[in-house]
Amino acid sequence: MWLSCDMMSGDFSLKTTNKEIPMLKTIIAREFLNNILNLRFMIGLVLCIIVTIACIMILAHDYKKELDDYNLRANLQDEFLNNYYSINYARLLRPQKPPERFRPLIIGIPGKENAESFDDNPLPILFPPLDFLFIVTIIMSLLAILFSYDAITGERQSGTLRLVIANSISRTKILFGKLVGGAASLLIPFILSLLVGALYISVNPAIQWDGFAWAELAFLTAASCTFITLFYLLGLMLSTFSRYSATSILNCLFLWVLLILVIPNMCPYISAQLYRIPSIKETERKDSEIERHSLEVFWERNNETAKKFKSHYGKLWSEFESMQFGGIGDLFSRVDPKYREAAHQRAAADPEFKRMMDAFVEEVEKAREEMVRIRGESDKLWEDLNTKAAFQTKLAKNLACISPYANFVYVARDLTGTGLRSLEYFERTEKEHRKKWYGPYITKKFKDAQKNDPTVTYDSFLDISDRPRFVFKEEALKDKLNEVLPYWGILVLFNVLFFVAAFAGFMRYDVR
Amino acid sequence: MLKSIIRKEILNNLFGYKFSIIIILSTILILVSIFVMYRDYCLALENYEILRMKSDDPVVVIPPTPLGIFTKGLDENLCRSYGSGLAGQISVSSKQQSVNILFKLFTAPDLLYIIKVILSLCAMLFAFDIICGEKEIGTLRQSLSCSLKRPILIIGKWVGGFTSFIVPFFMAVLIGTILVTLSPMVDINAQNWAKLGLFLLSSVIYLAVFFSLGLLISCLTHRSSTSLVISLFVWAMLVFLIPNLGNILARQFVEIPTVQQLELKREHSWIKNRFEKRRADRSEHEEMDSRMRAENDKLTEDYRNRFNRLVKVSQNITRFSPTAAFTFLATDIMGTGMAEERRLKRAVLQYKDILGDWDMDEKGKNPDLGYQRSSVKEVLGQGGLSNCLILILFNILFFTGAHVAFLRYDVR
Repeated sequence: MWLSCDMMSGDFSLKTTNKEIPMLKTIIAREFLNNILNLRFMIGLVLCIIVTIACIMILAHDYKKELDDYNLRANLQDEFLNNYYSINYARLLRPQKPPERFRPLIIGIPGKENAESFDDNPLPILFPPLDFLFIVTIIMSLLAILFSYDAITGERQSGTLRLVIANSISRTKILFGKLVGGAASLLIPFILSLLVGALYISVNPAIQWDGFAWAELAFLTAASCTFITLFYLLGLMLSTFSRYSATSILNCLFLWVLLILVIPNMCPYISAQLYRIPSIKETERKDSEIERHSLEVFWERNNETAKKFKSHYGKLWSEFESMQFGGIGDLFSRVDPKYREAAHQRAAADPEFKRMMDAFVEEVEKAREEMVRIRGESDKLWEDLNTKAAFQTKLAKNLACISPYANFVYVARDLTGTGLRSLEYFERTEKEHRKKWYGPYITKKFKDAQKNDPTVTYDSFLDISDRPRFVFKEEALKDKLNEVLPYWGILVLFNVLFFVAAFAGFMRYDVR
Repeated sequence: MLKSIIRKEILNNLFGYKFSIIIILSTILILVSIFVMYRDYCLALENYEILRMKSDDPVVVIPPTPLGIFTKGLDENLCRSYGSGLAGQISVSSKQQSVNILFKLFTAPDLLYIIKVILSLCAMLFAFDIICGEKEIGTLRQSLSCSLKRPILIIGKWVGGFTSFIVPFFMAVLIGTILVTLSPMVDINAQNWAKLGLFLLSSVIYLAVFFSLGLLISCLTHRSSTSLVISLFVWAMLVFLIPNLGNILARQFVEIPTVQQLELKREHSWIKNRFEKRRADRSEHEEMDSRMRAENDKLTEDYRNRFNRLVKVSQNITRFSPTAAFTFLATDIMGTGMAEERRLKRAVLQYKDILGDWDMDEKGKNPDLGYQRSSVKEVLGQGGLSNCLILILFNILFFTGAHVAFLRYDVR
């Protein structure tokens, strides 16, 4: 059997010939050519190439702007820390987050700072920005359905299916041939446009990708192909269960709408209603109540100590009181440094005064410990909120897994470091860096500064120009793969499921 | 004759498989969406009550609108609480849903989303084979072989097809709305009913745009499979591509620093001022504070001017798509759109100034923000009417195109 094609009309006819020609190859070639000469292929090709290239070019330009903005912010912060750092402004040490390296392809999720700013841009809420994810999930999935919805019904209606079946070819081979030929013709415009985009990225001087980034792109392409073939198989499956193409396309679009547009968007809302979490504002309020209470306990204990010391030390205490207690127990650095200096000089001159001052320091330290212990309760509150929120997110994430769209989004975003995981990863690494370096470093710096000048407080300038700088390193590819493999596995499972269903449907299909 | 064509079109649709599947899909989606968003509204209301009842700081928070059930838009943003922050700036506390980070990945499945994405697709699916489908089965030439004028036929087909599509949609929305309004949690006043009515009217105009577009494509093609392919691509372009591309395209024309940069500069200016104040004489502190505030205000003003320009450019680009025009119109009507957001921010800034001059000792408690969402009249004046006109214009354009194409259509 071989294929003859009239290029003018695009009609195909099957002729029985040499049995040596592999049947499967013929079916694949026929399906491939049939699709390529079709109007939908031309529209798909043009749309895919134009949109992908335009999107990558615009996003690459955007990436350069964001990179410049990030460099400016990092320099500003560095310079500022060199001139104006004090322990009370520890938050200044929070490093700036660089734009994701896959920003020319996928737009990352905005962090908290955007949602918590008065000057945020709400437009992306109304219109989510266009990127590679959109191209694959909306355009390519729709294209895949358009390529396959009439793969069986169309041939049955035109009468070619019974002609093919009348030959010595098994249904399995026909179905497999249709899958391979159709998927190949579908993936051509996609891979072609992605290659042009990759070429643009490689020649763009603003984008510096290492080997791992290119490997991630390769994995992303493979995951995208899995997703696209999934929808091709969905169309093929529904085609084997329908008698007419019109019915098949309606069923396909019905499922497409459910899987892409409805289920993923509903899941976070459903999970929020299934599993409640405490109110953030309520937690914030409880937190400030605990803080207020801890301060009250601190002042109360200090007042008691003051009363006790007054009766015990008499005049000496009054003198110490006139020095504003040398700034001891002054949590907010409100005491003039001159009193601190005066108290230290007095203590150096009078051992009795020193004894009283040391005893007072000890008592204040005990009160401070009590205050810290009370404040520890607010940590539990936040921990509880975060644990419950994490559970709610996980529930929503798992619920959404019934849609291939959600699985693909998790794979693509986590693989390229543009998803929720990358936000968490940045926060985690930044915290670890602070814990490892800044904690001991700042303590040492402060002690050294106090040794040189006893009037130095938490509010005083601290020279930290020789601090260890935070350099953000992308998460290892291996870790990313470990995270995304289950979701990728679900996508493969969907593929297998749809193929098996298509196979079962086609085996029982009435070709007349 | 017109009556017969309309009747035939309605009956034809009613007994078709397409009608059943689309109606089942849209009815289920509309009802589920209204239910899910109703529960979301109840959560937002609970959150608001907590904030309102216990607020002793000068914190501004407005209640969620019950119309957010149908069009959530920017309600999440609008209902954040605004307080006083560093250097006389405004601090914002994000709402409850910010805890579940998965909300950032997906869109709210409200009625607006169902209409603008799913029902627009359904409208095109209803119309894509109105002309070419009849040509394929041969009934078109039979119809035109008698004394039937082509304009009458196309008008009849449009009216019949669109009626059979829009009536079930209205029924589903009506049932959903009745169920929701029966709940004691939802208090919809006369103004809100008017807004809801206007929203539904604009939805009808919007869906008519896609129906007319489907008809136009059907009149330009001779096979329903070709018409379907073109319809789906045009739909994807208008619903997703142009609105979503417009947003990132606008950023190429307007240079604007990121919010992070703005916040960083403000924070630095505040800390720098504190350091310098310690070195300076107490008498100079006030002057230094006002200098810092002026510096920050200048930064903010520059940013806001650029941002307003960005929004304007973005809106102008995206208006090439009826979906964008409809989104702006619907969210503005329901009080959850860009216009409302700008209005609220203006009110919060004014409130901040009032608070600065407020004498707590004399007046006892903090002043009330007294914010009311825009009325219908205000919405229409603030650009709502132009968005509505854009939709009507799209309708006229597509229907005229379909009419002209059908007059020249080869029915054989």
